[in-house]
Amino acid sequence: MTKKQPPPATPKHSEKLTALFNLTVGNISAALEAPGKHFFGGNSHLMDEDEIADLSIEVMSLITALLKSADPTDKDSSELDALTVFFSSLSQKMMMRGGHVETVARYTQALQHALIDALEKDSNITFSQSRSVLLYLTGVFNELIMAVFHAYLEEKERALHAQDVQLRENATPITEIWDGVLTLPIIGTLDSSRTMLVMEALLSRIAKDHVHSVVMDLTGVKNIDSQVSHHLIQIVRAVQLMGSEAIITGIQPEIARALVSLGIDLRDVTTRSTLSDGLKEAFQRMGIYVNSKKD
Amino acid sequence: MQSNGLRLTQIGSSDFLLEPSRSLDIQNQGALLELIISKLQELRGKRLYYDLSEQVLIDPVYYAWLNTLAVALYTINVTTVCIHMQPTAAYALAQNMLVAPKFETAIDIAAWRKSS
Repeated sequence: MTKKQPPPATPKHSEKLTALFNLTVGNISAALEAPGKHFFGGNSHLMDEDEIADLSIEVMSLITALLKSADPTDKDSSELDALTVFFSSLSQKMMMRGGHVETVARYTQALQHALIDALEKDSNITFSQSRSVLLYLTGVFNELIMAVFHAYLEEKERALHAQDVQLRENATPITEIWDGVLTLPIIGTLDSSRTMLVMEALLSRIAKDHVHSVVMDLTGVKNIDSQVSHHLIQIVRAVQLMGSEAIITGIQPEIARALVSLGIDLRDVTTRSTLSDGLKEAFQRMGIYVNSKKD
Repeated sequence: MQSNGLRLTQIGSSDFLLEPSRSLDIQNQGALLELIISKLQELRGKRLYYDLSEQVLIDPVYYAWLNTLAVALYTINVTTVCIHMQPTAAYALAQNMLVAPKFETAIDIAAWRKSS
């Protein structure tokens, strides 16, 4: 094991900064608990006392490792990386518990002040009066605040993506209205990704449930372009290839006109004006006739 | 009958089930068609169920083979019904299909018999 060489005393490394890097940090974890208790404990209920104590010990050991590393000013060092990863996961954890990113950012700032105070008390060196020490620690803690916000943004993006997927799934409810008869009301626009979702769900359902007919209701489609009509035809073809009947219902006059002007030929596809007519057609093909009791 | 990567089984008086395996070489279409047609003619077949359950993906070449087979069998009054098409195959085929298929499709044999 090689003995750690202290960084050379360059103009960048003032006397106090060198002293900070050479400092044998004692147990200052208790002093670092105050910001944790203030921001995560008490009424916020984000952490209990044991967790705050563990957090302070972990932070202390990671900061000590950074100060004792071969070059504490190296922004690519594994020690600084470990510290930023720790704050990133702390940020995620707090958000999952209902905390706000601002709380974690303020905790990180308060931790910086608590650390300087604790180091001063531990070593009797007035680090707070050294510009280079303050600059160095501000640089490190700015990195940590960046990691906190980065984690927050990632979490937000993930949540938005999950909501988007959920919305898309809910926008295409496939319902088995009768044994072997599925209804698929299409509302809004059919873009490529939504078509893929609809086809994936619909074709799997056809294979799984041995579906006889699929009634696709377009009552909720208010406008159609060539791409949407192309996707619609793709769904119909795929349903037919699986061996099911595809029935399109609820084509509004403006949609019919648009289909004609787009040169879409629906002669191979069964169409009915309303969803109820489409269901009747599906039932008839299965040999089911629905009559009023009086008849 | 079992040869050249396909198995042909009689499942009714005039119904046949063709189960191609992954080793089926569709490059040799002429020989395959002759083999299938001669067997169906010999046993007076009227309907051929082509099982696609092993075919996870149907590319344009395989699609062309299915159409060629259906057209050839039509000349001897045999209807080709493709069954058990996989969702992945239907999805991919629907994206690339330029002409309507020459064959019929059904979920399975029971569904075809029920609907016809």
